[in-house]
Amino acid sequence: MVSFLTPVVDEAAPDADAESIEQEIADLERRLAKAKAKRQPAAHLNSSHDAHAYTSAEPSQLPATNRTANHFLLLLSDSALPLGSFAFSSGLESYLAHAKVSDSSTAPSLSAFLPLSISSYAATTLPFVLAAHRDPSRLSALDDALDATIICTVGRRASVAQGRALLSIWDRSFASALPPSAEATLRPFLALLKQPPSPSPLQSTPPLVSAHLGPLFGALARLAGLSLEQTAYVFLLGHVKALVSAAVRAGMFGPYQAQKTLAGAAVQELIAAMVAREWDTPVERVGQSVPVMDLWVGRHELLYSRIFNS
Amino acid sequence: MASPFPKSSSVPGEGRIVATLVPDGTSGLETVSYQYPLKLISPSRPSETKSVLVFLLSYGGGLVGGDSVDLSIEVKESAKLSIVTQGHTKIFKSATPDIVTRQTLRVRVAAGAALCLLPDPVQPFGGSVYEQTQVFKLETGASLCLLDWVTQGRTARGEDWSFVRWAGRNEVWTTTDNAAAGGDRLLVRDAVILDGAQTNPQLKTLRESMHTMGVMGTLLLRGPLMKSLGEFFLAEFTALPRLGARDFRNDEAKRTADERLLAPLEKWRLARLQMEKQSKILWSAANVRGCVVVKFGAPAVEAGRLWIGSMLAHEGSISRDFGDHALMCVR
Repeated sequence: MVSFLTPVVDEAAPDADAESIEQEIADLERRLAKAKAKRQPAAHLNSSHDAHAYTSAEPSQLPATNRTANHFLLLLSDSALPLGSFAFSSGLESYLAHAKVSDSSTAPSLSAFLPLSISSYAATTLPFVLAAHRDPSRLSALDDALDATIICTVGRRASVAQGRALLSIWDRSFASALPPSAEATLRPFLALLKQPPSPSPLQSTPPLVSAHLGPLFGALARLAGLSLEQTAYVFLLGHVKALVSAAVRAGMFGPYQAQKTLAGAAVQELIAAMVAREWDTPVERVGQSVPVMDLWVGRHELLYSRIFNS
Repeated sequence: MASPFPKSSSVPGEGRIVATLVPDGTSGLETVSYQYPLKLISPSRPSETKSVLVFLLSYGGGLVGGDSVDLSIEVKESAKLSIVTQGHTKIFKSATPDIVTRQTLRVRVAAGAALCLLPDPVQPFGGSVYEQTQVFKLETGASLCLLDWVTQGRTARGEDWSFVRWAGRNEVWTTTDNAAAGGDRLLVRDAVILDGAQTNPQLKTLRESMHTMGVMGTLLLRGPLMKSLGEFFLAEFTALPRLGARDFRNDEAKRTADERLLAPLEKWRLARLQMEKQSKILWSAANVRGCVVVKFGAPAVEAGRLWIGSMLAHEGSISRDFGDHALMCVR
């Protein structure tokens, strides 16, 4: 966002003469004062920290840890983070294909699919994100438990592909910028992942870790300083962004409608409600809340033509 | 004098089955004990001896709100046990949502032994609150076939996923007595939580989120005896026609193509696909950490039963290894 806004201001500045700049500043100051006056009655809505941030003339000096946390919050929520999320539609494409062949009277829409998908994803995955954030040292165990829980080839592939991408991003890009605790947690995990499966003559045993997105995201976010709530929110928002983006590319609606959906109060409230719902769910008690979602995602492989990997 | 009846355990709803290999080489029961409301019956003169059969019943044919059944099963080395029910397991209404009706199943299957659990579906009535936990610990070389399915309720009374809550969890673990070998390891945890009481205005009602399905089921397969059945489901899933593909042949070409079909498997498959299309059956199969997990859903309970029964019967290994009586609930 910042990178888009800055050049516009820079371009405008050299063309304007000094007088008009003075005028503009005065104008802006008047508007600022007016806006502040308007804000006074509603001031109690803002926390004291926010109020301070709006009124102080100087940028507030955040403690370095907060600054790092904010910085990584933005990086981890950026759609440019190379997780490859754009390749997955989490069952949306399959849902559309199934709606086409069934003679259902209601047309398929993202507004019907999105709440189901958020609820299902939160129910099956969010407790693992929260648990990994609360105790990053459990990362391997959580990853193994999640691997046992995803009972669908397509969903597993999507989760592992993005998890491995996130682990690579840490390894190649974030490692030097994060505190040593990240190294201590994630380096052994990476080693475990690269370790060849122990040859068992009697019975095939699953690999020790698979690198699913959920637990890795939780652990990495914790090590980068994000709060538990921020982590949960960004994780679910990432899912929503990927779905909405998939909907645009599947031709369900255009980019303005997409941003409208993303900005809407409905999505905000639903994410917050789902975070609250799963806040205390132990990972041993997770369960699919929308069983038909497993069928849609699992049957994505049967689509004649596909533009997504899930 | 020894009682002719299986002895009862003292805790309500508790039961225990131990199946073992008897000297003549067939499977028999070492222990069968149960307590109200649970009831276990094994036919005294079984028609088949490929596996020993136990009926899992409850007094009155269902579980009343607040009932709790806790059954532990042990299948000893090389024994084969089949468990069936007589009709849907009805879950009656709970007086208040905090009264939970529970069924817990703890199973240990020894090396070379096998358990085939193909019951009728669970039928939760409107207003019921139900939790089901089934934990299977399998030693190396043990086999498991588990069917777990739930229906929308009593359709004749207008029920359509009208219960308060239904939560089912199936866990498959590998286990070993040798602690040095790493102890127990979770292979699959398949869990479904259907919440009929959720109040978020943005989420659909449970009925809507089931998308016209009237029955949802999971089939879990693991172990050497289930190898061919698991491979069959995976192969049939791969062979399903592509969604959204078009058939550009004219009627004449289709007819001659049909006549040229020779393999009986392909003929059966065509008929089954026709049935899947008509009955709107959706299913998928996946290999998850050495287990084959089949998920299916159908708008009508009987269509779902027909489908899973036809798959199991056509492949034939359940009937071959456990006897036809193991399949009585899916016919």
